[in-house]
Amino acid sequence: MLKYTLRRLLGMIPMLLLISIVVFFLALAMPGDPFSGEIDPNNTDPEYIEEMREKLGYNDPIHVQYYDWITGFVQGDFGKSVKYKIPVSDLVAQRLPNTLFLGIMSLVITYCFAFAMGMTAGRKPYTKLDHFIGGFNYMMLAIPSYIAGVFAIYFFSFQLGWFPFNGSVNIAVDEGTLDWWLSKVYHTFLPALVLGAMGTASYTQFLRNDIIDNSNKDFVRTARAKGTPESRIYNHHILRNSVIPLITFLGFDLVSLVNGALITETIFTYPGLGQLFLTSVQASDYPTLMTLTLMFSFIVLVGNLIADILYGIVDPRIRID
Amino acid sequence: MKNKRSFYWLMSLMLMLTLFLAACNSDANGDSGDGEDTDTEDTTEDTGSEGDSGEEASGEPQEGGTLNYAIDGEPEGILNVHYYGTATDFEIIQFAVDPLFEYDENLAIQPNVADWSTEDNKVYTFTFEEGIKWHNGDELTVEDWKFALETLASPDYEGPRYANVETIEGAKAYRDGEADSISGIEVISDYEIKITFDKARVNNLLNVWSYPMNRSYWEGVEVADILDSEKTRQSMMGTGPFKLTKVVPGESYQFEANEDYWKGAPKLDKVIVKVIDNKAVIGALENGDVDMVPVHPTLGEQVENMENVDLVTYPGLAYYYVGFKFGKFDNEKKEVVEQNDKYANLELRKAMYHAINRDEWIDAFFSGYGSKVNAPVPTAHWIAADQDELNDYAYDPEKAKSLLDEAGYKDVNDDGFREDPNGEEFVINFAHYSSTNPTFESRAKALTQYWEEVGLKAELEMIESSLYYDKLEKDAEGIEVYFGGWGTGSDPDPSALWKSDQLWNYTRWVNEESDQLLEDAIDIDVVGTDQEKRKEVYGEWQKLLNEQLPMLYIAELQEIYGVNKRVGGVEFDVSGSNSPHEWYIQN
Repeated sequence: MLKYTLRRLLGMIPMLLLISIVVFFLALAMPGDPFSGEIDPNNTDPEYIEEMREKLGYNDPIHVQYYDWITGFVQGDFGKSVKYKIPVSDLVAQRLPNTLFLGIMSLVITYCFAFAMGMTAGRKPYTKLDHFIGGFNYMMLAIPSYIAGVFAIYFFSFQLGWFPFNGSVNIAVDEGTLDWWLSKVYHTFLPALVLGAMGTASYTQFLRNDIIDNSNKDFVRTARAKGTPESRIYNHHILRNSVIPLITFLGFDLVSLVNGALITETIFTYPGLGQLFLTSVQASDYPTLMTLTLMFSFIVLVGNLIADILYGIVDPRIRID
Repeated sequence: MKNKRSFYWLMSLMLMLTLFLAACNSDANGDSGDGEDTDTEDTTEDTGSEGDSGEEASGEPQEGGTLNYAIDGEPEGILNVHYYGTATDFEIIQFAVDPLFEYDENLAIQPNVADWSTEDNKVYTFTFEEGIKWHNGDELTVEDWKFALETLASPDYEGPRYANVETIEGAKAYRDGEADSISGIEVISDYEIKITFDKARVNNLLNVWSYPMNRSYWEGVEVADILDSEKTRQSMMGTGPFKLTKVVPGESYQFEANEDYWKGAPKLDKVIVKVIDNKAVIGALENGDVDMVPVHPTLGEQVENMENVDLVTYPGLAYYYVGFKFGKFDNEKKEVVEQNDKYANLELRKAMYHAINRDEWIDAFFSGYGSKVNAPVPTAHWIAADQDELNDYAYDPEKAKSLLDEAGYKDVNDDGFREDPNGEEFVINFAHYSSTNPTFESRAKALTQYWEEVGLKAELEMIESSLYYDKLEKDAEGIEVYFGGWGTGSDPDPSALWKSDQLWNYTRWVNEESDQLLEDAIDIDVVGTDQEKRKEVYGEWQKLLNEQLPMLYIAELQEIYGVNKRVGGVEFDVSGSNSPHEWYIQN
């Protein structure tokens, strides 16, 4: 197992290198550079723009630019954001807590919904309720997040006035107090709900199918024969066995925790990594874009690895050595 | 059977939801559709000239309260007036700073913190108002301004404002490290300072950097570290009506009243600047979550129909145009090296101008929040020529057709489109920038249709906006006629966009008379210090451009704000809003 893990970890290095090359060249192949939109005769002049281009090395050949960037990157220098003009590491550190908070909350929501719906559907398969749950899940899966976000804001914020529609915290509250945390939860709830409710489909259907599968197994029949109450059979015997395959989702959940939610964060003006990624693409902010891409790729790879390892633990047949 | 029923149930649920949503929509549309033509124009003029928001409805100004001000774009977070790069950042900064000079409703410069006097437009003596306090209690003196000017001229300065000190005598030597101080700056007393510029110019005053910088706040911070400093990112030091007290980066900014503000304590207790997504502007205004927010013209009508919100408009300083490429520019030699004769015929350009129904176009794509212009200067600017002296190329397709006939652009092969005088196919290749905004393509398409109606074949190419100006700058192949927009600042000198040796003269139009007029207008020997004389020269220049038509000037837009009716004391003119210390919340 250890050998396997190590091999996988080492295998990531060429993978990441390859990703970095592809992304870097694609990023530079995008039309324009960070300054191409900056033409404003009141605020700047062609000399300043040319000076900045020269200083940032945009006039160098592309392989030189890549070399400069990668040598800095492996030494832990992620560069300075062209748009925000602060080191990218600071920028990420500033945004990461928000994204994590949103990610955790949406996961909790996903789990709650998925478990409730999956258990109900699995217990009474092929009933009206089961079909409704199935239909609801597929509908949520099919709705693009930018539509769901806008509608959620329209109904819950503007019509009902239940939740704020932007930001991550109320600025008037002192940091660190209980009120501050409550305000954070209050602000994060709506985007988390949108994200969480939309990710339930795979969990619910997995859980439902496993429960249906397991309910026909011998140990369930034995339990029934012994006279164990139905609710105990489902909530105890079956659920435990049905949850095991879901563990493998944990690896992927890790990815969604950190990746942020590009669209949802932007619509809710929630300052997290997803929003940062989107603006860095729009502004051709190469250092930020590259750092985030590599960070996301790394986490995806690690997430996959964790999923594989967990799978091996849960199901010894899959273990590879 | 069971399955089917639940399916129907689901479908009917969805149908109901759809109907409900559709009902919400059509309601809003119906309202805004009613008074489109009449209402819009009336209200625009009313609010435009008065520019205040419901003061008549209120009694006495109230003390206290919190104003929620929103910006609909993401700021970069450079909370330092000496370093910021985007207008969005300045919308935040403006609450805490106070410039030395301000601009009146004609964009003429007026004393604010400092007054000035000069004999020859080269040496200026500035006198500061006494007793102005920084937010940390320090007193504002001329040393603070000197400090700002030296910072901008420092070789380590990383912001974009060196051009604003470059004209001071000795700034260049200071930047190159040849001098320890800027020779053109001479402190006379705490409240008096003498600045010598490298030569006499009419716009020295407009160009010079007009914000002071607190010395004790920045003590111990090297110039090279200012941009990264916490003091730039998390706090701000100014002399303005509000103090920045808290920052949640990229999201909200809290200001509290500066009770010692020299023009009087602000009436508001707090201002909170929120960053919101532009899709949320309407809802946030209607709900009262934000009190003030800039509004895009396409949303104007919806805002106008809100009961709790006033739509305030004031003349903007940007104009849209359709430009022609007359040649190619060599940036090394700083001159136009190749000529493109396709659009050299003035009659052709006139005909293309007459073919465009500008009023209809502005109504359709900017909901009427704009008006047509006939020269590349917004009419609200003090240098704008008398509009009666400019030709108005009104919508007149018949005239356009006869102009084309006379110029020899006739349909000789009966394909429905005109050929050029040599009988060759003639196609207007029109370029417009594209973005996620869906109206861009339709407004560009509308222009090509106007031309096709008079028999000129036109093809539209939408170019990614990040690439667009780059291509224009490099005179890329394929761009012949293009859509663009420019903004004018308080300094009216348009040389950077129009002189034949300038990179940003995108049309590559070379005209000696124009170059001469532009030089005259800033030449102290010709116009002296007389504003009227200067205005006259710019008037001549506008007349020339109005006759020669190197571009077709389309429209100037209005700036639009949505302001909640509970806010009072806000006034707008072409230079922006009045000082926020006069704003108040009424019950």
